[in-house]
Amino acid sequence: MTPASRFKRVVLMTLGALLLGTVLPLSQAFAQGNKTVVNYWLWLDDSTDPVWPDLVKEFNQTHPNIEVKYQTIPLSQYHDRLLTAIGSGSAPDAARFKDWWLGEFVSNDLLQPLTSYIQQWPGSSDVIQNLWSTGKTSADSPVYMLPAQYITFYLYYRADRLKAAGLEPPKTFAEFVQEAKTLTDPAKKQYGFALRGGAGGQDQWYAFMLALGCHLVDGSGAVVADSQACVDANQKYIDLFRVDKVTPPTAPSDGFAQIIGGFESGITTFAAHHVGSSKSLTEKLGDKLGVTNVPPADPNKPATMMAMSGNVVFGSSKEKQAAFTFISWLDSQGPMDKMSRSANGQLPVLASVASEPYYQNNPFFKLSLEQANYAVAWPPLPGVGYVASQLWQASMQQALLGQITSQQMMTQIATALKQK
Amino acid sequence: MTGASQRSTGLGRTRPRPRFRWRWGRAGLAVAILGWLTFALGPYVWMFLTSLKPKSELYTSPVQVLPHSVTFLGYKLLFTTTPFLRYFLNSAIVSAGTVALATVAAVLAAYALSRFRIPGKTYILIGLLVTQLIPSVLMVMPLFLTLRTIGLLNTWWGLILVDTAFALPFTTYLLTGFMDAVPKQLDEAAMIDGCNEITAFRWVLAPLLVPGIAASSTYVFIYSWNEFIYALTFTSTTVSRTLPVGLRTFIGEYLIRWDLLTAGGVISVIPTILFFMLVQRNLIAGLTAGAVKG
Amino acid sequence: MVRTSAPRSRSLNPRLRRRLVPALLLAPAALLLVLVIGYPLVRAILLTFQNFNMLQPSRTTWVGLQNFVQVFHNPVFWIAMRNTLVWVASAVSLQLVFGFIGALLLNQTFFGRDVVRGVLLIPWATPSVLVALMWMWMLDGNYGIVNELLVRVGILKTFFPFLSSPHTALPTLIMIDVWQGIPFFAVMLLAALQAIPLELEQAARVDGANPAQVLWHVKVPLLLPTILITTILRLIWTANYMDLMFVMTNGGPGYATTTMPFFAYTEAYRRIHFSTGATAAFVQALLLGLVIIVYIRILRRQQVV
Repeated sequence: MTPASRFKRVVLMTLGALLLGTVLPLSQAFAQGNKTVVNYWLWLDDSTDPVWPDLVKEFNQTHPNIEVKYQTIPLSQYHDRLLTAIGSGSAPDAARFKDWWLGEFVSNDLLQPLTSYIQQWPGSSDVIQNLWSTGKTSADSPVYMLPAQYITFYLYYRADRLKAAGLEPPKTFAEFVQEAKTLTDPAKKQYGFALRGGAGGQDQWYAFMLALGCHLVDGSGAVVADSQACVDANQKYIDLFRVDKVTPPTAPSDGFAQIIGGFESGITTFAAHHVGSSKSLTEKLGDKLGVTNVPPADPNKPATMMAMSGNVVFGSSKEKQAAFTFISWLDSQGPMDKMSRSANGQLPVLASVASEPYYQNNPFFKLSLEQANYAVAWPPLPGVGYVASQLWQASMQQALLGQITSQQMMTQIATALKQK
Repeated sequence: MTGASQRSTGLGRTRPRPRFRWRWGRAGLAVAILGWLTFALGPYVWMFLTSLKPKSELYTSPVQVLPHSVTFLGYKLLFTTTPFLRYFLNSAIVSAGTVALATVAAVLAAYALSRFRIPGKTYILIGLLVTQLIPSVLMVMPLFLTLRTIGLLNTWWGLILVDTAFALPFTTYLLTGFMDAVPKQLDEAAMIDGCNEITAFRWVLAPLLVPGIAASSTYVFIYSWNEFIYALTFTSTTVSRTLPVGLRTFIGEYLIRWDLLTAGGVISVIPTILFFMLVQRNLIAGLTAGAVKG
Repeated sequence: MVRTSAPRSRSLNPRLRRRLVPALLLAPAALLLVLVIGYPLVRAILLTFQNFNMLQPSRTTWVGLQNFVQVFHNPVFWIAMRNTLVWVASAVSLQLVFGFIGALLLNQTFFGRDVVRGVLLIPWATPSVLVALMWMWMLDGNYGIVNELLVRVGILKTFFPFLSSPHTALPTLIMIDVWQGIPFFAVMLLAALQAIPLELEQAARVDGANPAQVLWHVKVPLLLPTILITTILRLIWTANYMDLMFVMTNGGPGYATTTMPFFAYTEAYRRIHFSTGATAAFVQALLLGLVIIVYIRILRRQQVV
């Protein structure tokens, strides 16, 4: 190709791209009309799941004055995108939200208090009462996040392995450690417990902390993460890797894929997770799958953590009422049921939906709903976002590798939680 | 190194080439190339094999190398349940546009920098490099503001402009270097023969620039094809979302769609290979033959 | 495409043309760079002297050098600095050496060369999320093929968790970056090799030089400008490249793979202290600036500038 014809090609391509690039977005702008537009952001576990697009379509059809435009963002970038949008003044109207971020956003006055809208919403009585606290930053604060889907942590186990060893599901932590040891055999690449030291493992860790008697904040909301109870609980967790050696050697960096994959393929016997994975694990393991509580230190004091993902309306939104109409519609029976049954499905926050046979007869849902009575969420402090997304992992890995002590780790976490 | 032994050594002395050394040289070359191919392509072969395996065969111990039952379901799902083709199209358009725009702007700039004495040339060169110093994560927000003000969010043009801007410095530097290697005497000789600057460029410089343009356009294409963070932030829907962003949507909070990821991964590297295979035909010695003489 | 509209006669005022023409030629590139990158760049630098709260931009105030003090007191900053030095120096030098060898290999003629050249490009051409996931899968401590092969061959006794161990995590990432970067250097240096006129090489051979001498005395000096600019920019890019850390290790285990851009990112977006993140990046930029100065000096010595 001569340079001349090459240039010609280049010029043509540029012009072509220019044409397409300018025409297409223009054609979109004309499709607006005069409806109220609500911009809604969400993340999806399985981006090929049609439940969400279908729900939005249904809403748009049944609410002719409102048009919801949604945008899906991969979870790993979700928080960043929100920050960028807010920092440049283009936050969406409403968004799916994690309870980790509540403290950060509320302390910066970004979220619209929803209490007045909720009081006028007839469906509010259907929401399970003690879940409202997950959307508040303190007992008397307004509700900032409308609860939508949540999970509680429990413990999966390989029923076939326990049966073969003549063991019952553990009722206390001490029993759990003992059983894990019995079922650990490095030569066969079998380990007792899938400890998740990598990114995202903080939820599982928190569940165990609570079960072992550690609270990050006390009744008055003061941070007590560095208390002796917590240091000891953390030490027991660390010892699973360092002393009891019931975890795979990859534990410090294991993430979701590794612990679930490992559990599925038989590398581990116990794995802590929640209802979100129950469908795929049941498909893979069928009868071999068992589930029980996170083993507490005291069998009379069961405890576990819960994580709520809800919906928020931003204070900068110009369509707050319409946005609330949408997110409260998501919290109505039909849509709630569809969401919970989908591939991304988590626990429904509505009492009417939760009492349906589908959930009551499913052992995983059933156990989770029972746990919801006492499960504790991350405290709504501004520092939680940082701890959950970064600090916990760095500290936990250092502690697992023996670079810092349990005391040092809990002090680091306490300091971060006390920030701002 | 030993390939040179195949060319004539010109007038004068001829050095004897012992047969055995020739064979060792060829063998050594073959070993080196094959070794490199294995190192470079091994992971992809593994990924391809993985993409063919059904889920049940993924986590096995000992590790199974070959799939026992082949499934192309991942590819099928990729095209039927995801907007993968749209992502592909967007990436293609953005990359093509970026290559076009960057090459043109860089050639012009390189010509100026190479053929003219410009006051402040040092500062220009430093300035080009300075634009690369700050990590993209920190530039995202102000850039977002800029694009939003101009109204180029969620468009191909927005991404083309951003990618071009970031790819320009290296491209300009590279082409300036290649142009500098062509002595100015050649231009002058051509102009004495009746050319003006434009035709001198077209008939003398441009042919000698071809390897440089081949290399730089490859760089720009790859940069733009794989660019993630700006593509993620400046696009909001499948209208303009590119492949890297699309691939990441297959990674959920509690779920990783390996089947879609590996299938999508295999397909996303094909255009770059094709692009380079076309372009690298210009990386042939001999284009410069005759340049120095005359 | 060249902006000079001079017809056959070169009768336009030469002095005017000499000033105007280069300006016009530089205009598209300059405009694009200033408009697109200029504002974010200046803003990022200004932010290092402010306490910018992304979530409440209106509450930003000037704090002088306070961010620098804060950042210098943070031990993680120094860990990141050290990691970045190791990361950049190892990755770039290895890529350069192997890329150069690769360019020499691809310069030879052999059967299937066109295809091979295209195919060897793939590591560089792959989106980083895919590279990260592929290698994570291959290096997995329980079912990774790398471990499997190493054990079968006898180099390892049991599977080794490469990414869980603080001593091997960063070297592993370096290896992956080198794997990605070799084609880049190979292509750039190959192009430069191809641009060397054959006659120069032939003249040297006539004078009795063997291939190694031809390489060292004739080719390398001509390759130097390309080697220099490619290496400088690769240094800068590598210093700012954090995709592998983001997907594979999240900076861990502990802080073993926390490099400066990753540290800047976590400060800015996770701790929501945008200014300290910008400050860390700015400090790195200053250090990289020294590299640029050295480069310009070399250019000056070659009387190119």
